[in-house]
Amino acid sequence: MNNKFTVYTVGIVGIILLTFLLSVVPDSLNFFREEQSAMFVFTLIVIMIMLYEVKLAKSSSAPTFLRTIPGLKAVEEAVGRSTEMGKPILYVPGIMDMNEVETVAGVVVLGHVANMTAQYETELDVPVARAIVMQSARQVTKEAYLTQGRPEMYNEDMVHYITDDQFAYAAAVNGIMQRDEPAACLYMGKFFAESLLFAETGNSIGAIQIAGTGSQTQIPFFVTACDYTLMGEEFFAASAYLSKEPELIAGITAQDIIKVILIGFILLSIVSRAFFDLDVTDFNLITWLGL
Amino acid sequence: MLLKRYIPIAIVAFFGALTLSAWFIDNEAIETFANDDATQFFDIIAAFAVFLGALNLLKLQFIKVLKQQSGWIYSAVAITSFFFAFIIGFFIRGAYFVGEDVYFSQKAAEAAILSSGSSQVAVPVDWGAHVQTDGSLFQWMFKYIFSPLSATMFALLAFFVASASFRAFRARNFEASLLLVAGIIIMLGRVPIGSLISSWTIMYILAFSIGIGINSYVKNRNIVFGWILGSCGLITGFGMTMGWPIDQPAIFFLPALQEWIYLVPNLAGSRAILIGIGLGIVATSLRYIFGLEKSYLGE
Amino acid sequence: MKFLEDIILKLGAVDRRVIFFLIGLAVLIPLLTPISLPVRETPTTVKFYDGIEDIPKNSKVLVSFDYGPSTRPEIHPMNVGVLRHMLRNGHQIYISCLWPDGIYMALDALEEITDEVNPDNVSTFDIKEYEDYILLGYRPGAEAVIKGLASDLRKVYTVDANGNFIDDIEMMDDIKNLNDFAYIFSGSAGYPGTFEWVKYGGDPTGVPMSSGTTSVQVNEVIPYVQTGQLIGLLAGMPGAAEYEKLINVPGIAIQGMAAQSFAHIVIVLFIVFGNLAFFIKQRRDRKY
Repeated sequence: MNNKFTVYTVGIVGIILLTFLLSVVPDSLNFFREEQSAMFVFTLIVIMIMLYEVKLAKSSSAPTFLRTIPGLKAVEEAVGRSTEMGKPILYVPGIMDMNEVETVAGVVVLGHVANMTAQYETELDVPVARAIVMQSARQVTKEAYLTQGRPEMYNEDMVHYITDDQFAYAAAVNGIMQRDEPAACLYMGKFFAESLLFAETGNSIGAIQIAGTGSQTQIPFFVTACDYTLMGEEFFAASAYLSKEPELIAGITAQDIIKVILIGFILLSIVSRAFFDLDVTDFNLITWLGL
Repeated sequence: MLLKRYIPIAIVAFFGALTLSAWFIDNEAIETFANDDATQFFDIIAAFAVFLGALNLLKLQFIKVLKQQSGWIYSAVAITSFFFAFIIGFFIRGAYFVGEDVYFSQKAAEAAILSSGSSQVAVPVDWGAHVQTDGSLFQWMFKYIFSPLSATMFALLAFFVASASFRAFRARNFEASLLLVAGIIIMLGRVPIGSLISSWTIMYILAFSIGIGINSYVKNRNIVFGWILGSCGLITGFGMTMGWPIDQPAIFFLPALQEWIYLVPNLAGSRAILIGIGLGIVATSLRYIFGLEKSYLGE
Repeated sequence: MKFLEDIILKLGAVDRRVIFFLIGLAVLIPLLTPISLPVRETPTTVKFYDGIEDIPKNSKVLVSFDYGPSTRPEIHPMNVGVLRHMLRNGHQIYISCLWPDGIYMALDALEEITDEVNPDNVSTFDIKEYEDYILLGYRPGAEAVIKGLASDLRKVYTVDANGNFIDDIEMMDDIKNLNDFAYIFSGSAGYPGTFEWVKYGGDPTGVPMSSGTTSVQVNEVIPYVQTGQLIGLLAGMPGAAEYEKLINVPGIAIQGMAAQSFAHIVIVLFIVFGNLAFFIKQRRDRKY
């Protein structure tokens, strides 16, 4: 721990020095934007912490503690339930394209779910709203079935395109739910207003529902209507949680460390701003950093 | 292995790092790439990829119709709608101007000219503008088929919100009760009916609710009765003194209360969640850029 | 007392179709028999209104239609109101759309404005295309469009919605990029919309801007109002109704307030009965 603390402190000091050097280099030789110095320092600190944590995780044999996320534990339970009932699993990877990090995270979780469905020989249905997502999801699902040694169970029409339009897609997925009556509905990705349409329809057919999204406005709807909800960071941690790979879990540890640093910075800014507003000092940390 | 693993990871790493560095590097070429070209590359790829999706959709719907599987009629409607929109979008102008009037076909425009006896000529709309022109066939399809269908699906939310709220808003514990009370305040305070409910009504309701709470703990009728009598008397006294203003005291006026809930605790909570989501996105993106996360490739 | 408790228990276990039916009635009846309810302006709406009033007279403003038919009841009254307000103050309006459906919403809004007549049956706004407004139209690309507008408008728009070349239109002569506008307004229902306009439009250029959003999005957008990146905000249909009151042109948003109010009351009543049933059931289960 002390070693880690020393490394981070030295690293942060080094990054600040580097940024300072970049900003004093004459403009004719320099391509660095001084006004972004604060963000540059923060970005490098985040990268440093992440890479160091991954390095530590690779060299360490001790498992890192991850608190239980009920929603992720329930994924296997949901697959098991579907297998017992002989009904399919419906997986919705959001309605946006692969340029959204949430969609990529949703496709990654699909890979893990496909591993389970291949193992348990459960039917999987993945309606998508974007053609590129369809291709990516097919790739991930196919690999999962190949890895589990069940290539004959894979059918590329498991992942099928519906439409780009939000509510037309919602209508189609609702129709699939009403007709096929899946035992489990998983919603993992970026959603907008259609989230409640999915969740309520899933509720009406008695399916177990697990949702995961970083869409802040839709989290309340999922929390209200689904059995389990992965909120924000929990959703992004899903891949690490399900794969249990040390490098990915190290990423979550790094996230937590960054959060602590951020909280410290926020508290410092509040104090600085309070002193500034009360005319105790002329210095305002946020203004000085150009944020 | 090279083609399936290392090259894709290298592409992701290169373009991810380039786009990230564009924020800090003062170079026009990199800036243009990150701000314009990268997004446009993606849009072009996505636009072409739509063909794959459309073919997949048609294939599955055709199979359903040919095999007459359950619900095949809906598939027939889907195929018909697809081709209808495709044809009027790509092959039919759908807008011919005769003066200010617009007709769907040249025949209809010419018939109108003949019947009016004027010497005007039917002017066809330009390709491209034909999907946006007021009165065109494409706009007719949008206005009378697509819009009502979209609006109907969105309208379902009103009903689903009601049933979801009814089912989920139960005061099972302290936090759930807090959520319930805040939800009711926001729902009533946000609409005009909330401003018709005076603060004094809320104060009386609060007094009675506290009385019910006291009764469940103390179970002494005298204390409960004393509380209700005392609190209602106090409220009535203050009300008569102040002249029963509808929005005072402001702390009990629903619109003012809902605004405070929106702007203070709600905003604090959503900012915290937003910061968490932002950090999650940063960490996840960095995992993809550094090749730590390869699952999206199918690994 | 037991009889009352039994009724409440029955209400607490009511079929959701009954709820749907009652919500339907609560919305339909006020729409069919208009009920007037007083609309109280909130600070964010007043700030929005004042922000538009502060635009120097006869300026050039950009209004973006970033919504579709599904969110039309909430956002359309805002955009129509903004067009009215802008035209009343003599501004020239440049209309863009980040959603493909937005162009049709814009056409409808312009038709509504053009068809509006005063009590003497004279057109309220005698507006002419290419003099009072120009419909630039829809362009795909979401934030790329805004970035393009911020650097060079002609990179994004070479022709307008009618297919006329931008360089041939006199109204476009002094417009190079977003910096040439005095104000930006986005009626937004999601992505792309308010966030993209703030991130890539208003913030980098410093052009004053504001937005109208759906009620659900208000939570996400309100921090921008607090930081001043948005000058006020029209929050959902209530915000649209407040704005209609401020500009003194009652429209469908004010009409819709009664329906929304009664629907909310029905939901609250069901929640209350549901909780009463929950407590009664808990108490009875404890007894046994």
